[in-house]
Amino acid sequence: MAGLLLSPTEKVFIVHGVQDDHRSDGRTNIDYRPMELETNVVSHATGSSRLRLANTDILVGVKTEIDVPTPEKPDLGKIEFYVDCSANAAPQFEGRGGEQLAIGIAKLMQAAYHSSDAFDLKQLCIFEGKQCWKIYVDILILECGGNLCDAVSMAVKAALFNTKLPSVKAALMDGGNIDLQLSDDPYDAKSLDIGTAPLLVTLCKIGDKCVVDPSAEEESCSVISVVVGVTGNPSSYSTEENVSDSAKESKFTTIEMVGSGSVAPKTLKDAMNQGMVAAKLLDKALGEALLRERQETQVKTKKHSYGFLR
Amino acid sequence: MPLDYRRFNGPEDSIPYKRFTKDFVKSYDELFKELLDDKGVRKDGRALSEARSMCMFFARADMVSQAKGSAYVELRKTKVVCSVFDPREIPHQNEFSELGQIFCEVKFAPFSCPRRRRPHAPDAEEKALSVALRKALEPSVCRHMFPNYQVDVFIYILENDGACLSAAINAAGLALADAAVPMYDIITSCTVAVIGDKMFVDPTEAEEYLATTNPDTPINHGLLTLSTLSELKQISDFIQIGSMDVVSVTNAMEVLEKECEKLVPLVQKVLVANVLKCFAQRKRLEEEANEREKALNSKMEEWKKLLNAG
Repeated sequence: MAGLLLSPTEKVFIVHGVQDDHRSDGRTNIDYRPMELETNVVSHATGSSRLRLANTDILVGVKTEIDVPTPEKPDLGKIEFYVDCSANAAPQFEGRGGEQLAIGIAKLMQAAYHSSDAFDLKQLCIFEGKQCWKIYVDILILECGGNLCDAVSMAVKAALFNTKLPSVKAALMDGGNIDLQLSDDPYDAKSLDIGTAPLLVTLCKIGDKCVVDPSAEEESCSVISVVVGVTGNPSSYSTEENVSDSAKESKFTTIEMVGSGSVAPKTLKDAMNQGMVAAKLLDKALGEALLRERQETQVKTKKHSYGFLR
Repeated sequence: MPLDYRRFNGPEDSIPYKRFTKDFVKSYDELFKELLDDKGVRKDGRALSEARSMCMFFARADMVSQAKGSAYVELRKTKVVCSVFDPREIPHQNEFSELGQIFCEVKFAPFSCPRRRRPHAPDAEEKALSVALRKALEPSVCRHMFPNYQVDVFIYILENDGACLSAAINAAGLALADAAVPMYDIITSCTVAVIGDKMFVDPTEAEEYLATTNPDTPINHGLLTLSTLSELKQISDFIQIGSMDVVSVTNAMEVLEKECEKLVPLVQKVLVANVLKCFAQRKRLEEEANEREKALNSKMEEWKKLLNAG
C-alpha cells in the first residue's frame, strides 16, 4: 500500500504473530478493527454514508436518475458503481495513479451486485420497458488504511439503506412517451430493499493462515488475498418480525483472488468458509447499527451530527 | 465511452435484429430446457461433465511468425490466438521494479460474439478479462528473471462460444512456453457453469449466458473459472460470479481441479510437438545449408580449374 516501508524484520514479526493467532494490534485472526458509521451525511445525495474503519475512510453518495431499461431486460433497473481514489489518500493516486485500484474495486462491487439474489433490480422498475431508476453509487476513498473492499461494501450497503426513492404518483402515456409524476413530499418515499445486498470480505493470506480485515502493514506482508462477496440476511435489516422468516441462506455472489501470488486448493477452501462466517457476523452487526441509527433519527434522540468535524 | 470517429460506428441507438425474433422472447425455463435433451446430453452432443478439450483439443504453438512466441487454441467454436513478445523496458515508469511485469491485453474481434457486435474501443469486459489473465499468469512466470522489463501477452478472441477466459489462459501458457519465457509450471485453466444442481463443464456461450442470468426461483447459478499450476498444486486464479452456496462452490472447485489436471498432458503434447518441429526445422535448415555449401565448393573447384587452365 501507499508509500509504506517495512523492514524484513518487521515483516517476520507480523508473519509470526499471525501464525500464533495474535496480531500486532492485539487482534486475533478473525477480528475486525473498530468502525464508525454514519448515514445521511451528504445533503445533495439521495442516500449517503461515511465509514471509518481504523484508518480507512470511505464516503459513499448515491444519486438516482430515471433511465430507459435495456431491451434485453425490460423489467430491470440499473445500478452502477464508480470508485474514486482521492489523491488525499495517497500521493500515488494523483492524476490517473489510482485508476487501476478504482476499476478493480468497482468491478468487484458490480460482480457482487450482479445476481438478483444479492440485489433485486426489479424494485427499480417504474414502467416496464419504458422507464426505470438508475442508481449511481459513487464511492470516494478519502484515506487508505488497508482492507478497502470490506469497507467499501459496508459503506455502500449503508448508503443504499439510507436511499429513498420518491414514489411515482402517476405515469401518463402520451403518444408513446411516458410522463411521470413524482411525489414532491420528502416523506412520501420508499426505501430500497437491500437486506440481501452483499458484503465483501477480504481474506489476506499471511504465512499459511488467512486473516480478516488486514491493516496496511499486514497487506504489504501478503502476496495474495481472496475476496468473497456474500449475500446478507434480510431479517437483520428490518424491524418487522414477519419479514422473511425463511432466513435466506447466505450465498457467494462473487469470489476473486487479488494479488500476484497463488494458493493451495485447501487454503482457498478454508478461506472461503472463513469469509462466509465473517460476512454473516459483519452483516448482522451492520444491520443492528443501521436500525439503531434509523430509530434514533425517528425519535430525534440522535446526537447532533458534526459531519467531518468531530 | 469515447467513440472512434474515424471508423464507421453505426447509429448509437441501433439494436440487434435478433431482438425481434422468436428466440428472444423465450422464457428462462424454455431456454434451460433447450440446453439439455431428455437423456441429459447437451446441444452439441457432449455429456454434462465432458469438456470440449476431451473430444478435440486443437491447439498449436508457433502460430504467428512475427511474434517471439504464439499459440492458437480452439475449443470447437471458441477460437483464440495468443502472441507473446520479447521483454522490453517498462514504458513510463520512474521506479525500478524488482519483478518483471506481464502486460496482458485481451481483445474480442468485432464479430466474435453471437449476441451483439463488439465495439473497437476496449470495453469493460475486455479490461476485466485482461486483468484476470494477468493475475492468472503472474504466479506461473519467473518474474525475477527480468527485472524492470515487461513481457507483452496479446490475446485475440476470434470467436467466442463460451469459456473464453480459460481458453485465453491456456493459449497464453502455451505461447509463453513457446517464447521461452522462464516459467515455474504449466498453467491450465477450465470453466464451469452452474445452473441449479447441473454443472456444465466447459460451457458454451448459451450455457454461460443462462448461468449468469437471474433465474425466476432462487437456485444456485454462476460461472466459475479456475487456473492451476498442476505440478506445484497451486491455484493461480479463481473467479466466481453468480449466486451459489458453499457446497455448490466446493463441488464445482473439485470438478474444475480435475479438469485442469486432465488438460496437462494435452498441453505437454502440444509443447513437445512444437519442440520436435523446431528441431526438425533446424535440421532441415542445416542440411540445406550444407547442400548449398557443397554446391558452392564444387563451383569454386570448377572455376579454379578453369583459371588454372587459362
